[in-house]
Order: sequence, then C-alpha cells, then structure tokens
Amino acid sequence: MLAISMIVGTVLIYYLMTKLNARFSTPLLFPVLTTTILIVLLLTSFSISYDTYMDGAKWIDAMLGPAVVSLAYPLYTQRGIIKKYKFSIISSVVVAMFTGIVSIVILAKLLNIDDEIVRSLLSKSITTPVAMQISESIGGFPALTAVFVIVAGLTGVLVGPLVFKLCRIEKSVSRGISMGSASHGFGISKLSEYGEQALSMGSVSMTLSAVIGAFICPLFALFFI
Amino acid sequence: MALGEISFKVVFMSTYIRIVLQIIIIYMFSLLGTLFVQTLHIKFPGSIVGLLLLLITLHLKITPVSLIRDGAGFLLGVLPLFFIPATVGVMKYPELLSVHGLLLILSVIISTILTIGISGRICQYLENKESSKGAV
Repeated sequence: MLAISMIVGTVLIYYLMTKLNARFSTPLLFPVLTTTILIVLLLTSFSISYDTYMDGAKWIDAMLGPAVVSLAYPLYTQRGIIKKYKFSIISSVVVAMFTGIVSIVILAKLLNIDDEIVRSLLSKSITTPVAMQISESIGGFPALTAVFVIVAGLTGVLVGPLVFKLCRIEKSVSRGISMGSASHGFGISKLSEYGEQALSMGSVSMTLSAVIGAFICPLFALFFI
Repeated sequence: MALGEISFKVVFMSTYIRIVLQIIIIYMFSLLGTLFVQTLHIKFPGSIVGLLLLLITLHLKITPVSLIRDGAGFLLGVLPLFFIPATVGVMKYPELLSVHGLLLILSVIISTILTIGISGRICQYLENKESSKGAV
C-alpha cells in the first residue's frame, strides 16, 4: 500500500511541477529539480527512508531502460542531418566527452577526492539514465552521479547562453552540439529558444554522447583511476 | 451523435492500447540489451545495447518505424519522470552540503562550462569547413 502511494505520489508531484514550470518558465523551476526537492523534503519530514521510498519508486525507475532505448527513434528520424554534418558532429561530441572527463578528473585530483567519487563524476555530462548505468558499471555511486548530472544540466541552462556569447558560438549546429554533449536533456530544453535545428542537433549529440561515453568512461576508469 | 461518441472512444482506446503494446516492444529491446551485457559480463550499460539494436533493426527495416513511434514518443515525452527515483537518492548523501561537497559541485560547474565552450568553438570551426566543402 505504501509502495503504491510512493508511485502515485511521485507521478502526481511531477505532474504538478511540470504544470508550475509551464506557468512560470524559468530554469529554477525545472521539474526534475523541484520534484526532487519536494519529495526529499516530504520523505525526511515523515522520516521515511530512501529504501522504503524505492520499494514503490523502483517501478518508475524500471522504465529508464526502455526510455533510453526510445532515443533510437529521434536518432533514426534525424539521420539525414547527421549524415550531412557527420564529421563535425562526431568529432565535437568526442572532444566534448574528453574535455568533460579530463577537466573533472584534474579538478577532483586537486581537491583530493576519493577514487569512488571520481568514478561517479566521469559520466556527469551524459543523460541521467545512461550516466547512472555507466557509474554503476565502473564502480561509482549511481545516486551521486545523478546529482552531478543535474548540476551539469543546470549549468548549461543557466550559464550556457553566456558561454555562447563569450566564445562567440553563433551557429545553431554548434550551439546544439555543445549544449547537448555537455548538459544533456536539461541543455536541450534550453535549445528550443535557438530554433528547430539547434534543438534537433542537441538531441542527436545527447544521444551520441551517451553511446560514445558508454565506451570511453569505462576505458578511462580502467587506465587512469 | 451517440455513434460518434462511441467511435471516438474506440479510437481513443486503440491509441492507448497501441502505446502500451509499443512500450512492451521497446521494453523487449531493453531486456535483450541487459541480457546481452549480463551473459557476456561486460561493463557496459545494457540500455545502450538495446538502443543500438533498435537503431540497427530500424535501419535495416526489420522493425518498421510505425511499430515503435507512438511508444517511443510517449516515453520520451515523460522521460524526466523516470529519473526522479534516482535523483531522490541524493538524500543518502547529506555530506554534499559540506565545504568539500560544494567544491565538488563547483568543479562540475567549471568542467561543464569548459566543455560547452571548447566543443562549441571546435564544432563551429569544423562546421564552417564542412559546409564550405559541401558548397563547392
């Protein structure tokens, strides 16, 4: 019974938060963020443990795999534009992946972070479901990875436009690619302001970086951490 | 009028059933990917194997797009909901609110800014080259 109320509660809060976000469109009301904060506050105030919550919520969590598989659909429908810019797209996504991994490992080493946490950091620029699976497969903490992924996503939404301005990144393909491969789904939600092409490039690069990251992160963890 | 209402209900129900059936098909791909990774003992997310499998079968026209379109569209439309259970897991790490934790979060922010800037610049450079090559 408690398990079912966890499922219903999560769906309900998420639904209300998307409504709220549609009403006042600001990145701070990003539904994943507001829903998470609200649920954490509710659970702690009723002293319900995360494990109890997951008894029900695991059924929602189980849909992550199929949701990732669904990403094949936009990748397939956008194969025309991918073919057109294949060299730029693939090299930029690979560059983004390495920039993200190398910079975070250097910063983490400077801060003397434990290896297990460094492993949780590697996949931070990849969309949450894949990032968590990568983190788990290389010996990180998936829940911690989810937090870093959200931080990377919010950074893209809040600071991305400023970076575009400072670095004079003006082409819609470049905006889409850089945002999608650094800030995944969150970044993409921001890209709709830059037009259709930036948006579709964003979803292409997010998916590609999930696929490429699934290969690179374990290799990097194997050799350098 | 009554007939119209009934046919509306039938169409509505059939869309609903189609989405559910398509999600089951997509779930099969996900399951296949997970099984693949587990049997071969590789450190690789099973869902990505499922994604690649679906992409290949779509490309080879083994899976018609119409067989997964509505299900995939539905799942992607509510995608953020599926990672809520994971993000709530942050409550297991209250130490993130310490100085060390906040520095870690700052590192993620810096790394993300570098990633956007560097990959964006490089992409713009390559894109200019690639599109000028196409124009000639």
